[in-house]
Amino acid sequence: MVAEVEQKGRSKPENADGLILKPLYTAARQFAKSLIRPSTIIYPFERLEDPKFREEVAIESGRPIGVGQVWDNYRGVHALNVNTCISCNLCAFSCPDLCIDMVTVPGGDPKHPKKCPQIDYGKCSYCGFCSDACPEGCLSMTTRYELSTPKRAEMVYSPQKMFEIYQRKLPMNPIRLERPANEDSILLDVPLCIGCNACARDCPTECITMIDIPKANPKPGEKPAKRIWKEPVINDSDCVRCGTCISVCPKECLFWGTHT
Amino acid sequence: MSEMWVNMGPQHPMTHGLWNLRVRIDGEMIVEVDPEMGYLHRGIEKISEDRHYNEVITLMDRTCYVAGMAWEHLYVMGAEKALGIVPPERAEWIRMLSEEFQRLASHIMWYAAFVQDLGLMSPFLYGMRDRDLILDLFQSYTGGRLTYEYMRVGGVRNDLPEGFPAQARQVLDWLEPRLVEYDRLCMGSEIFRRRCDGLGVLKANDCVRLGVTGPMLRSAGSKRDIRKDRPYSRYSQVEFDVATADSSDVTGRYLVRMEEMRQSIRILRQALDWLEHHPGPVLADRLPRWLGAPYAPMGREGYLLKRNYPKGVGLSAIEEPHGEACAYVVNEGGEHPYRVKFRSPVFANLSACSHYLVGYHIADIPPIMGSVDVCVGEVDR
Repeated sequence: MVAEVEQKGRSKPENADGLILKPLYTAARQFAKSLIRPSTIIYPFERLEDPKFREEVAIESGRPIGVGQVWDNYRGVHALNVNTCISCNLCAFSCPDLCIDMVTVPGGDPKHPKKCPQIDYGKCSYCGFCSDACPEGCLSMTTRYELSTPKRAEMVYSPQKMFEIYQRKLPMNPIRLERPANEDSILLDVPLCIGCNACARDCPTECITMIDIPKANPKPGEKPAKRIWKEPVINDSDCVRCGTCISVCPKECLFWGTHT
Repeated sequence: MSEMWVNMGPQHPMTHGLWNLRVRIDGEMIVEVDPEMGYLHRGIEKISEDRHYNEVITLMDRTCYVAGMAWEHLYVMGAEKALGIVPPERAEWIRMLSEEFQRLASHIMWYAAFVQDLGLMSPFLYGMRDRDLILDLFQSYTGGRLTYEYMRVGGVRNDLPEGFPAQARQVLDWLEPRLVEYDRLCMGSEIFRRRCDGLGVLKANDCVRLGVTGPMLRSAGSKRDIRKDRPYSRYSQVEFDVATADSSDVTGRYLVRMEEMRQSIRILRQALDWLEHHPGPVLADRLPRWLGAPYAPMGREGYLLKRNYPKGVGLSAIEEPHGEACAYVVNEGGEHPYRVKFRSPVFANLSACSHYLVGYHIADIPPIMGSVDVCVGEVDR
């Protein structure tokens, strides 16, 4: 069958005859250059993040592999300082991949065990939202990037394992987000509060204190109740805005807002 | 001679990703083509409806894996319009700087992949070597080499580190002579010219009719560039020319991209000059609480209604390295976008392939499709 479509072809280039030597010359020059200064490194033995190696591969040296001090900001495996972690849950809340679980670590009191993040690196996307959200700066990202393992279970890094990485003192991502100046505070809807103490008990920074108040509005002719009612008072300067109190409140009487 | 169908893809060196080009050939000649896409569909638009405004940015880096910064910029602009947030001046300049670096990196990546389709190995190695320097620059201020997660709704995550302009200028000084070298390897080679001249012709009126944009449209002689026609960010404050060519074939697209790289370097130098002399905040203040880094529990329902955040719709368009991209973000209140929709330039460019492939030989498919600059990640989303 003869095709109905019209055959199209190349057009002969103008002024391009005999231009075969130009690319050959360019490539040969590059080849000669690379004999003196190769553009590659011998990876397992030489590493770009090695501080000793940085000057050598910087662009001034004519061996263009890196541009100098770029590794400090790298977002690799996390380092966790278990001692300063306050179990505020903010890293787990901010994770878009839901790869952070809060697991119990030894060190807390038996009633309220201390919980620290455990990260599943099979799911992690290294976006850095967790270390941005960390109010205490105990979760940060390091320059470590070698994660390959034969077992899937080994991709899950426990808090202890991340603490070991922390103790190795690798360069950590120095960029810290400043807390916004106009942050909302946690406010209390007083008539709804039953004084159950759940918020003060679970507050990671212990910025909530329960103060005693007499029960409001006794009926006329009735004596004020003897029972003491309690009400939380939140210290805004210590509060890290983690919202733990909001999620544990049984009556939903705590909410976000600005002081009027 | 009888005709037959040939499947070029989903695993084929020509495809640059996962898609299938079904070709009906009569001998050597292409009679009919049928592009099949959708192998890389990840449902990014749907997932975005269940993510915080800032968390969608992690998906944007994965939408197009060679132009992540451009897609972040696109989405962030749309979300800002929907939420009614104005980013600070310095953040706009940093965004423009990032997008131009990304255009440079993407075009170098295109150059490396395109010439390898033609069988040239050394330009591929040179291209990958030089692109790495731009990735290093990205790493120095974002922390990622390919997935940056750098822009935020209302600005950017952090300011440029100290000494960045000097480092960036060194890289640009290194790259400028490299572009001359690239040209010597390709346009200076008779083999390259004979392989590419007069192939894949798509005229300007056909481009407009089919929605083909970007370097493909500009190679047909049309001076259409969103950066000039509808300036966003701070493109109205920098000087650059729109690169065009007349031949509307593979060589024309090559020339347009090469000229765009030179214009990018020109924009970058101006942006670096501005950034050196104008310090300032990079993240807008008075952002809603749920747009900051901590995403604590929202608590009782109706909090947002109580605060009465304005609802809105945001439409943004940018000149992505591959063409004109567009984002549509609907804000119905709440911490998640109600709907996110993207217009991918490569999807339109690929869908029109029957108009620039039919009539050529089957051996011409790799150069022609290479000149389209396919990124399947953004085609399927």
